[in-house]
Amino acid sequence: MRMSTGPQPKKSISFISTIKGTQTKGYSGANQSRMALSKTLTIAPEIKAEKMSISTPRTVIQVIDAHGVDVTPRPLYHPDPHTGTAKPNKLLTSREGSFAAEFISSYSLYQNTLNPSMLGHFTRSVLGSSIVSKSSVSTTESIAEDLEEPSYKREKLTSFTDLRVVRATPGKIVTKEDLEKTIEIILTETETLRFFNLPTVMVSVESEEAMKVRRRNKNYETLCRNRLGNDLYAERMMQTINGAPKNKDVQCDKIVKEDKGIMSTAWDLHDSYIAMELSSLPAKQSILDSCGKANVPSKDREQRVPGSTTEKDSEASSLMDIENVILTKVRDDEVDHSETILKSDKFHQDLFFMERVLMENIFQPKLAAYRQLPILKEPEPEKPEDFQEGEKLEKTEEEGQKEEEEEIEISTGQSTIPANLERLWSFSCDLTKGLNVSSLAWNRTNPDLLAVGYGHFGFREQKRGLACCWSIKNPMWPERIYQSPYGVTAVDFSIGAPNLLAVGYHNGTIAIYNVQSNSNVPVLDSSESPQKHLGPVWQLQWIEQDRGTTGDDKREILVSISADGRISKWVIRKGLDCHDLMRLKRTTSSSSKKGGEKEKKGEALISRQAPGMCFAFHPKDTNIYLAGTEEGHIHKCSCSYNEQYLETYRGHKGPVYKIAWNPFCHDVFLSCSADWGVIIWQQENPKPFLSFYPTTYVVYDVAWSPKSAYIFAAANESRVEIWHLHISTLDPLIVHVANPGIKFTTVLFAKQTDCLLVGDSDGQVGVYELRNMPAALDSGRGDVIDILIGSKSKQPG
Amino acid sequence: MQAEVEETLKRIQSHKGVMGTMVVNAEGIPIRTTLDNSTTVQYAGLLHQLTMKAKSTVRDIDPQNDLTFLRIRSKKHEIMVAPDKEYLLIVIQNPCE
Repeated sequence: MRMSTGPQPKKSISFISTIKGTQTKGYSGANQSRMALSKTLTIAPEIKAEKMSISTPRTVIQVIDAHGVDVTPRPLYHPDPHTGTAKPNKLLTSREGSFAAEFISSYSLYQNTLNPSMLGHFTRSVLGSSIVSKSSVSTTESIAEDLEEPSYKREKLTSFTDLRVVRATPGKIVTKEDLEKTIEIILTETETLRFFNLPTVMVSVESEEAMKVRRRNKNYETLCRNRLGNDLYAERMMQTINGAPKNKDVQCDKIVKEDKGIMSTAWDLHDSYIAMELSSLPAKQSILDSCGKANVPSKDREQRVPGSTTEKDSEASSLMDIENVILTKVRDDEVDHSETILKSDKFHQDLFFMERVLMENIFQPKLAAYRQLPILKEPEPEKPEDFQEGEKLEKTEEEGQKEEEEEIEISTGQSTIPANLERLWSFSCDLTKGLNVSSLAWNRTNPDLLAVGYGHFGFREQKRGLACCWSIKNPMWPERIYQSPYGVTAVDFSIGAPNLLAVGYHNGTIAIYNVQSNSNVPVLDSSESPQKHLGPVWQLQWIEQDRGTTGDDKREILVSISADGRISKWVIRKGLDCHDLMRLKRTTSSSSKKGGEKEKKGEALISRQAPGMCFAFHPKDTNIYLAGTEEGHIHKCSCSYNEQYLETYRGHKGPVYKIAWNPFCHDVFLSCSADWGVIIWQQENPKPFLSFYPTTYVVYDVAWSPKSAYIFAAANESRVEIWHLHISTLDPLIVHVANPGIKFTTVLFAKQTDCLLVGDSDGQVGVYELRNMPAALDSGRGDVIDILIGSKSKQPG
Repeated sequence: MQAEVEETLKRIQSHKGVMGTMVVNAEGIPIRTTLDNSTTVQYAGLLHQLTMKAKSTVRDIDPQNDLTFLRIRSKKHEIMVAPDKEYLLIVIQNPCE
C-alpha cells in the first residue's frame, strides 16, 4: 500500500474532505498491529501544508511510491518532545483550531511497525496537523488509552526536531574555548503523546478488512430491509409506566435572616480567652457586660452567642425603657449609677491624673526649667503654642532624666548676665495663705515630694499649724494636708521608710504620719509619752546610725532638739520611745572661762538647760553632732557621751538657728543666727573661720549647695543671698530681695536640679532657679578646705 | 472620699485656662458638666467614638495593654479624656495663657 502524498488525489475516504477547516482527524488507535495501521487515514496534504509552517521532517524512513517519488508523508503534528510521556497514536485534534505556529512541536512519527521492514506499510498515524497546545498535552495524556505500546517509545523512526527548542540558559560563563568547542547536540524525540483516540468506524475500501466490513454492512442492510415485512420482526409498542406525579406543599415560618458583622480584633479575642479562663457564670456576666455597644460578640464563641442575644435584648429593653413614658424610673437608675461612678476609686484616680495633666500644661515651661530639660529658646513666637510645642517635644516624661547641671556652664562662658535667681513658681494655696513656713524637707526616695511645715516661730503669733506634702507635679494643691492646732516647727522624711513623715510641733509633740494613706491621723504620736518635749521642737531629723555592736546594721532613729534643752532620740518600737542624747546645759560665758574666773554666783538662772535650736549630724560619722543653742553656742557632742560636750564653738551672740555641715568638706560647717550673722567654722577651731554680716536682719536659715562646696544660701528676713566663697567672701553672689512685708524664713536646695526653694512668711514656698552660675571649679573637692584656708589664712577668724 | 472627689473636681474646674469639665456616663448622658447640654452631648458622643478607636488600637497592638489617657492638642485648646468603661472624664483646657 502506498500512501500518496502531495497533490495527488486522495484515494482516502472522503470524510477527510468534509472536515476541511478543522483538523479533526480520525485516528486509528489500533496501532498495535499492522492491521491497525492500515486503518489510518491520510490527510489531505494540502491541509497539512497549510498548517505546518515549519516542518523539517527528518524522516528516517522514506516512502517511495511506484514512480520513485518520494512520498514520505510529512507529519502534521509535532508533539512537544519535552512534555511528558509520548503515547503513540494518540493525538488530540485541536478543536480550538489554534494553529499557532509557535506551538509546533516535534512529534514523533511513530511507526506502528516495529521494524523498518514495514516501511512499506508505513502509515502515519499522526494525521492531524493539529497543533496541540501545551496545556492540553497533560490533560489529554490522561485520556490516553492503553493502546500504547511501550515499544513504541523506543521506536522513533521518524522524529522531527522540535521547532521550538527551549534552550537552557547557560549557567556558566562561556569562555572562548567553549565557543570553539564542538558541542554535540543530541536531539531526541519524545514519546508520543496520545490525547485522543477515536477509533474509526470507517474503513478504507482498499484495506484488507474492507471485504469483511462490506459484507457486514451488506448484511445489515439486508436485515433492515427484511425487517419490514418479516415475520421474524414484529413491531410492538410498549408503554412505560410513568409514576403519578404528586405535588406537595409545605409552608414554613418565615426564615429570619440576620446579618452579623464583627470586627474581630486582637484584644477582643484576648478578652474572650481571659474570660474563658475565669470561666464561671459571673465571668459570663462580665462578658456580657464587656462586649459593649460597639462590639458584636464574636461569632466563634458559641456559648457567647446566646449571651449576646440576651444582651441585645437587654439593650433593646433598656432602649424601650427610655422610650417608655415612665421616665422617672430611668432617671433614678441613672442617678444611682452616676453616683457610683462619682464615688468609684477609678474616678478619683482619673481626677488625680487629670489634675496633674492640667498642671503640667499650665506649668510646663517652669517644670521643664526645673528639671533642666533643654528648653528651646525660640525667637519670641507669635503663637505661644509653638513655644510650648517645642518644649513639649523636649520634655520626655514626668520622671524624666535630670541632667547634671552643665547647661549653665555652657551659657556662662559667653553670657555676661550676672548670676541670678529666677523664680519659677511657688507652692501655695488658699490653705497656706498667711502662715509662716517654718521648715522644708525633701523626701529621700521621691525627689519630687516636698514636705512643708507651717507654723510661726514666735510664741505670740501662734496660730494653727499645717504640714503639707507637695508634689512638683502639682504646684497648686498639696497632696497631703495634715492640720493641727499647733504650729509646725519641724518636718523630716524618714530614710528607711520614706513614707513616714515626722512632724514636730510648737507644743513639743512629735507626730509621725504615713503619707501613703490619706488619713489625717498620725501613725504615732508622742503626746502621751512621758518624755515628750516641753518646748517647741525646733528640729527633727532621721538619722541612720551604725550600730555594729548591737547586731543591727543600721538603725534609724529620730533625733529631735527642743527648747526644753534636750536632744532626744526617738525609736519606733511599739510607739515612740525616747532617750535623751544630751541635755544642753547652760554654759557660762566665754570670757569667764577664758579668764578662769569663777562663775558668778549671783546669776539667777531661770533654767539650767539651754534651749536648743538646731543640730546637725556629721555626714560621715553619725556619732558626732553639733548642737546650737539659744545662747549662741555651738556644742560638738557625741552620742556616746550624754553629759559632756566635746567642744564648744563660740562666736554667735544670738540664738543659733541653723547649723549645716559642708557636704564636701567635712571639716567645715556653717551656722546662722539671730545676730544677723553667718559664720563658717572649721571643726578643729573653736573660733569662727569666716563670718558674714550682710544685713541687719535675722538670718533664719542657711544651707549648703549640694553641687558645690563653695556655694551656700542664706535667708534672712528681707532677702535671700547666695554666696560663692570662691568668688567673693565679702559679698553674696546673688541677692534676691523679698517683697515688702514678707520675710524669707527657710531655704532648701533641690538635690539634682539647680533650684532653690525659699519659704516665706506668707505661706508660699517659691522655687527659684539658679541661673548663670559661674562654672564649677576643676579642683577636686577635697582640696576645698585648703583653698579656703589658703586664701583666707590671713583673715582673722 | 466623696467630698474629696467633689473638691478635686471643683479645683479642676476652677483652674486657669480650663474651659470646661465634663463627666459623662457610658451612654453619653452627662453626670457633671460645666458646659451646656448640647455641647456636652456633642463632645461626649464624638470623644466616645474616638476613645473607643484609640483603645482598640492600643489593645490591638498588645492585648494586655490598655488606654489610660488621651490628649488631643489642637490649635485652640487641648482636650483631655480619661476613659473608663463606665464614664468619660473630659477636660478642655486652653493652656497658652
